[in-house]
Amino acid sequence: MKTYVDAAALEDIKRRFPAVEYSGEEAKPAVYISADELIALLKFLRDEMGFTRMENLTAVDYKTYFEMVYHLFAWKTADTCKDSADENLWITVKVKLDHENPEIPSVTSVFSGSEFEEREVYDLMGINITGHPDLRRILLWEGFPGHPLRKDYKQIAPPFVERITRRGH
Amino acid sequence: MENITVGAAAEWLRSLILYIIGNELLTDIVMKFVGLGACIAVILTAAIVLTYAERKVCAFMQVRLGPNRVGGRFGLLQPIADMLKLMSKEDIIPNGCDRVVWALSPMLLFVPSALIYGLFPFDEGAVFADVNVGVFLLLAISSQSVLPFLMGGYASNSKYAYIGGMRTVAQMLSYEAPMVFSLLGVVMITGSMRMNDIVAAQAENVWFIVLQPIAFIIYIITATAETNRTPFDLVEDESEIVAGPFAEYSGMRWALFFLAEYANLLSISILTTTFFLGGWHGPFLPGVVWFWLKVLLMVFVFMWFRWTFPRTRIDQMLSFSWKVLLPLALVNMMFTGIGVYVWRSMM
Amino acid sequence: MAGTETYTLNMGPQHPSTHGVLRVQLELDGENIISATPIMGYLHRGVEKMLENRTYVQGVPYTDRLDYVSSMNNNFGYCRAVEELAGIEVPERAEYIRVIVAELNRIASHLVFIGSLAIDLGASTGMLYTFRDREEILDLFNLVCGARMTFHYIRIGGVNRDVQPEFIEKTYKFLEHVPEFMEEYKKILLGNEIFMSRLKGISKLSQETALSHNMTGPNIRATGIPYDIRKVDGYSVYPKFDFNVVTGKNGDNWDRFNVRYNEIFESAKIVKQALDGLPEGPFMAKVPKVLRPPKGEVFSRTEGTRGELGFYIVSDGSTKPYRVHIRRPSFVNMQGLNDMCKGYLIGDSVAAFSAIDPLMGEVDC
Repeated sequence: MKTYVDAAALEDIKRRFPAVEYSGEEAKPAVYISADELIALLKFLRDEMGFTRMENLTAVDYKTYFEMVYHLFAWKTADTCKDSADENLWITVKVKLDHENPEIPSVTSVFSGSEFEEREVYDLMGINITGHPDLRRILLWEGFPGHPLRKDYKQIAPPFVERITRRGH
Repeated sequence: MENITVGAAAEWLRSLILYIIGNELLTDIVMKFVGLGACIAVILTAAIVLTYAERKVCAFMQVRLGPNRVGGRFGLLQPIADMLKLMSKEDIIPNGCDRVVWALSPMLLFVPSALIYGLFPFDEGAVFADVNVGVFLLLAISSQSVLPFLMGGYASNSKYAYIGGMRTVAQMLSYEAPMVFSLLGVVMITGSMRMNDIVAAQAENVWFIVLQPIAFIIYIITATAETNRTPFDLVEDESEIVAGPFAEYSGMRWALFFLAEYANLLSISILTTTFFLGGWHGPFLPGVVWFWLKVLLMVFVFMWFRWTFPRTRIDQMLSFSWKVLLPLALVNMMFTGIGVYVWRSMM
Repeated sequence: MAGTETYTLNMGPQHPSTHGVLRVQLELDGENIISATPIMGYLHRGVEKMLENRTYVQGVPYTDRLDYVSSMNNNFGYCRAVEELAGIEVPERAEYIRVIVAELNRIASHLVFIGSLAIDLGASTGMLYTFRDREEILDLFNLVCGARMTFHYIRIGGVNRDVQPEFIEKTYKFLEHVPEFMEEYKKILLGNEIFMSRLKGISKLSQETALSHNMTGPNIRATGIPYDIRKVDGYSVYPKFDFNVVTGKNGDNWDRFNVRYNEIFESAKIVKQALDGLPEGPFMAKVPKVLRPPKGEVFSRTEGTRGELGFYIVSDGSTKPYRVHIRRPSFVNMQGLNDMCKGYLIGDSVAAFSAIDPLMGEVDC
């Protein structure tokens, strides 16, 4: 993340979406948005600010709340493919979610390539993604107890299997 | 040296048995069994020798060493070890399979592969059954090997096997036609379907590879397809459908498939030699030596194909047969016909 | 009246050509594929969770096990992320060495790709040739770090140990050898009519489709988009080297093959330049014994051999990362599998798995 969006652009976003929050002191401030307005914001970023690539999508468990993290990338040097990376832009969008019943709309309508990553978040973090085309567990099997990447996840002990001796008891 | 032939050896053996038994009819019956035994011996020896050869040739082409542990530096006893391993393996019968059909498939596959050995002229006079419709019978028998594949594929209760079985039918049927037409050219020139006559015709004039180069190429390609070897090994295709019809077989049942494969490899090499390379005919050395030299050369060529080419896709393969090989074989046949007509009217 | 119906074929998880334990549910109509659904997770070890319970330094060997064919690139990606988080300046010599080993590993990984594609198409000889030449690279790595598969050579702040003169000499020798063996592959694979007909025009993806699946690496370059993080981000010392981004035109399997084939030459070019310009100096930065990066988070990405390899690390100021997320290129690229298989034959599906070049250790993480 070499070049982050500058303060002016962030102001722009703030004007367009008054619900947006960011801290002006950080060098690379993440843009916080509510779950309801997420799709509209991403659409705006993609269509009008050129953030055409969803590079990373994940979630973090902060014990009291969840945070969805979206890293967007605007590839401005696409035509020239120069070495200088200064024109390319990054932005981080974050959504805070309730810890009890986390739910977020799927971003696949805007960035269709996030399908698997959203399934992974659903699988390992237990965040319900609404409107996802194919919401199933991706790495673990259906019926796996719990969501392992949550901080409060406790591994259940494997079932005790008696040792089978040669005589069969 | 040239008068040492297998035929002469057989005559000597016959007179010996006749001397012991003293009955013409009984001697003939005993001689048939001797011939049968010889054919089976050839197949079994071939399977052992060819597995070893295949592994060594493959290793040579793939910059490896190949078998080098069992039986000295060159791993000469490797095929024996393989055989013992296969014999001692558990015979796994898949759940839900059609038991009778499933068990019959490997045995039935071996029958046509072994049966056609009776028609091969190994040397002058050394034909187990010198039939006057030899070529016809040969094609008829060898096309029977479609059915066991389909049986094995159907009865295994496995989708991979079933796809493999279906592919076999499509493949063998479509390559049968160009194969027949390519051999017809040879038959037209000879004017006989007897195997001995075909070899004799080449001994008198030139080998048919010179007269029928296109038919030779078509025959080689179709023969590769008929024996399911790369680039046409779509039947057992280990990277797509795992092993096709053989997927569910293990131990000796699988070994029978394996045996049939090498019997087929040897038989197509023998047929190529007979039809196009002049059979046992050759200067200086005894006929049987020439025969096996040519056969082994062809075996090497087929192995060379296998370890060089990638596999084709099923649609490419079928369209290649119907759109390229068959028209080519027909055109070749037409020109052969014209050539034979002109030659006969000139004589 | 007789009708036809489709059937499902489970390819894998135990299948010779699914590159490990991938399972693909193929919906088939005869030999034609109607849809292909990848099902993964058979190799899931929970690397992300494990990294949360280890210190930053202890995390490096776990990244080896992600994409075990190109471990150097994974080490590189992870170490870069941690260095960015902790603000560690890496000495220039270390950067050069990292680029050398990463590019050598890229060559090795692409050789594995060529070999596995060849064997999936039935040409087992091609595979043995590529593995023979990959062996030389593994020997070089063996020389420099003592391991042949999971290297753990690139460490936070630099590299484990300096390269020996012997390594440099042998690497030069290897680079001379590169055009020779590439010529050999050309003879046995690229020039082969069957090989061409199996790959040309198969599993075609347009630029839009590839972008919509968020594909990266050689898969997207094959469609003609020059998206190479080494150029786009210009990280490490890559801007100092002269190399081209190899792109294809049609986005079919033939282009995917050719992109990787030609990338080997480009990587060799980079290694050559890096060896020529290898500066003197330390090979390891001063890294505190107990690494406690300040509170914050970082997303850092590098061009792995299979695409964009990103590490998202959240630090809470302690010795262990609070959360690590790995953006695995193979995992994301797998989304394109359905579009690459749909409408083609069973035989093409095998080529499609190979052409995506997924590595299950990385997909399942």
